[in-house]
Amino acid sequence: MADEFEPKIVAFLCKWCSSAGSDLAGVSRMQYPPNVIPITVMCSGSMSPLYILSAFKKGADGVLVSGCHPGDCHYIKGNFYARRRIALVKKLLEFIGLEPQRFQMSWVSAAEGTKYTQIIKDFVEELKPIGPQTKLRRSS
Amino acid sequence: MVNLEDLKKEAKRILEEGKIKYIIGYERSPNGMMSMPAFIKNPEDAERLTWDPSCVYNLTRFLVDEKRRKAKEKKPDTRPVAIVVKGCDSRAVVVLLQEKFINREDVYILGVSCEGAGVVDEKKLTEKLKGKKADKIEFSEKDHFLITSDGEKIKIPAQEILAERCLECRANFPVIYDEVLGEKVERRPEDPFKSIERIESLSKEERWAFWKEQLDKCIRCYACRSVCPMCYCDECVVDTISFAVAADTTAEEKAQKIKWIERSPDSSENFVYHLVRAIHLAGRCIDCGECERACPLDIPVRLLNKKLEKEAKELFDYEVGFDPEKPSLASSFKDDDPEDFIR
Amino acid sequence: MQKILRKKSFPQWVKKLESYKIYAPAKNGDVWNYEAVNHSEDIDLDYLNSVLSPKKIIFPQREIFLEFSTSNDGNPEINEVLPEENPSVIFGVRPCDAKALTLTDSVFGGDFDDLYYWRRRDQAILVGLACHNPPSPNCFCLSVNGSPHSKEGLDILMTDLGDRYYVESLTEKGNKLLNLGNKFFEEPKAKDKKDLEKINLASEKKIKRRIKEIKKIPPQLKEMFDSPFWDEEAMSCIRCGICTYLCPTCHCFDISDEVLSSSPIEGKRVRTWDTCQFPDFTMHSSGHNPRPDKASRLRQRILHKFQYFVERYKNYQCTGCGRCISKCPVGIDIIEVLDKVRDYGT
Repeated sequence: MADEFEPKIVAFLCKWCSSAGSDLAGVSRMQYPPNVIPITVMCSGSMSPLYILSAFKKGADGVLVSGCHPGDCHYIKGNFYARRRIALVKKLLEFIGLEPQRFQMSWVSAAEGTKYTQIIKDFVEELKPIGPQTKLRRSS
Repeated sequence: MVNLEDLKKEAKRILEEGKIKYIIGYERSPNGMMSMPAFIKNPEDAERLTWDPSCVYNLTRFLVDEKRRKAKEKKPDTRPVAIVVKGCDSRAVVVLLQEKFINREDVYILGVSCEGAGVVDEKKLTEKLKGKKADKIEFSEKDHFLITSDGEKIKIPAQEILAERCLECRANFPVIYDEVLGEKVERRPEDPFKSIERIESLSKEERWAFWKEQLDKCIRCYACRSVCPMCYCDECVVDTISFAVAADTTAEEKAQKIKWIERSPDSSENFVYHLVRAIHLAGRCIDCGECERACPLDIPVRLLNKKLEKEAKELFDYEVGFDPEKPSLASSFKDDDPEDFIR
Repeated sequence: MQKILRKKSFPQWVKKLESYKIYAPAKNGDVWNYEAVNHSEDIDLDYLNSVLSPKKIIFPQREIFLEFSTSNDGNPEINEVLPEENPSVIFGVRPCDAKALTLTDSVFGGDFDDLYYWRRRDQAILVGLACHNPPSPNCFCLSVNGSPHSKEGLDILMTDLGDRYYVESLTEKGNKLLNLGNKFFEEPKAKDKKDLEKINLASEKKIKRRIKEIKKIPPQLKEMFDSPFWDEEAMSCIRCGICTYLCPTCHCFDISDEVLSSSPIEGKRVRTWDTCQFPDFTMHSSGHNPRPDKASRLRQRILHKFQYFVERYKNYQCTGCGRCISKCPVGIDIIEVLDKVRDYGT
């Protein structure tokens, strides 16, 4: 078991909902895989595609962008913009042949600690069979 | 058909009136068949203007230069510049207007019709002529180009030597203009996304192999970025010191700047560059195909933009460059935008 | 040493050179480039001008200088990286590209020898192929002290005589290569030499483009530094790097640290191509840019090639390969520009 591939996930969590959701999971002592490197961003709408590509370039096996549910955005409509932009990034990454499982988006509110742990559990399970991400990783 | 004399006359007229700073148009190159960009200031030079299927360039790129130049001048000449645009180029003007990069009163638009055809793909023509050198190319009767080679006239069906993007064009007539020459010829492509579907039909690993082979060729001359009228950022992420370095920027601030993309033309860096370029042009690219034409290594970079154009149409029912009043793709949303991919 | 090689024997000769790494022109789509080849049969010497010259083998776009990291005891560790020992043969080098290497030699040599450049340069044997037909419609080597059958910078020059090659070895390195395939070569006969002369003469005639009275240009440029001419000429320039990256003589570079990991520290110091056409090329850390616009950058390119280099090395920094003309996305033509320079103000 020691040699099993453990994917590395970079999760960009919005400060107001998803990050608070992950905190809730933590303070509630919920168990979930330790494969996530959380990075708090001010809003899912502030996500530059460069952040996503950089994470892949620096060796992330999966990238998650998570924001507030539609209508709950702290900045009123940031997550609506994110929804459009991320959809396009996802399509483009699939177009160049990256495994679609590697890039995910979710809505997680500050109360949804359970949902957050489930998303991470599922994400890790989906990444394990496809192995390490080497396509966009910087190699030399 | 566009009467070249009409174009010259109109150009001469607006220059003589003195309301125009200069005209950005096309002229014949003294060497070979291709035309080249021309900048006409004097009415008597209007004679140099040309319009033929070798006018591949998207001249709106030079509106960006004009704005930069004007910003630096102490007492700028505020008269508008005139610009000759094809159907596709006119959509680029629309996007620049939509993004408020230029104002409508800063530009006088001289539209030309592509005569139901389009512009030539130089490589296809060279192949077609099998070593013969073309001296001149003209629009001929419907759907044909007339080529002069060593004094001999050859007629070739336009379809065979048209640029790839012209085969998929949905606007072969200017969508915005102050003056327009030639008639509107309806020509709808059977399938505007044919080139994309070829790649989409491949398997994931085949797609990856395709793009890896193509993008590994990239030498990062940035011609695809530089030739693009939409790539007008003052600072581009790929430039090594493209940070807002001012006289009062401290060394510490400079050191803390993030280098998103290394200069090395390695696979990972090339991918990030091309993907960022494509994303940045999502909902802005009007498919003038200049990026692909400029590439010295024949990388089909246009396909990345085309893919996003297709997705914008399918996911958000958004079409680029037809209405300057419409909000742009990235600065707008609908409540019912698809979200089936979100957990 | 002068020899005749039957065309059918060419792959067999190449096979004898297996101890060398072999480069030759290879076609990818419509684009020719110099690539490493594994099978001698794959070499196709009937090629057009490559997009990138063999410069990219001697002076690669990315060269690792050193690697740095934090060792286990927490101290920094720095290791020099040198190009590997790997003798190579480059086939099908055009005379203009070979001449270009003699020009970069003077830049990377002289007072200070660039270790990385010379390590690769000394290991490479250049086997040229005289241009029967101009490989590009924009060839103008005759105007810049070159010719389609120039031997400058080459170790071996091959000339296509139809069913055979006329092979002339010009250096010790070249002799060594010929000796390795001794049995495939024949002594040239009088007819071969006659054919060679005929072909050389004919190939010169096929080169149509010229820079007239080029000698007048360097002194003229000296007077034109502040001329509004450059603003006019640069109007259509889009400030991409094609003309300089594809140029066989351009040699400017940038050195940067590429950090793979910041904790623990791991990275490389690399040299990459840079070009005077990019806005950040001359950007000072103060924020001042002495070449702030494309006019001054176009001027720099022309002046470097036809004034500064001439003053310093008594040679034009241009070998007439025509790449910058053929590939410029907006049709800027260095011959046209120089023609205008020569006639400027008269």
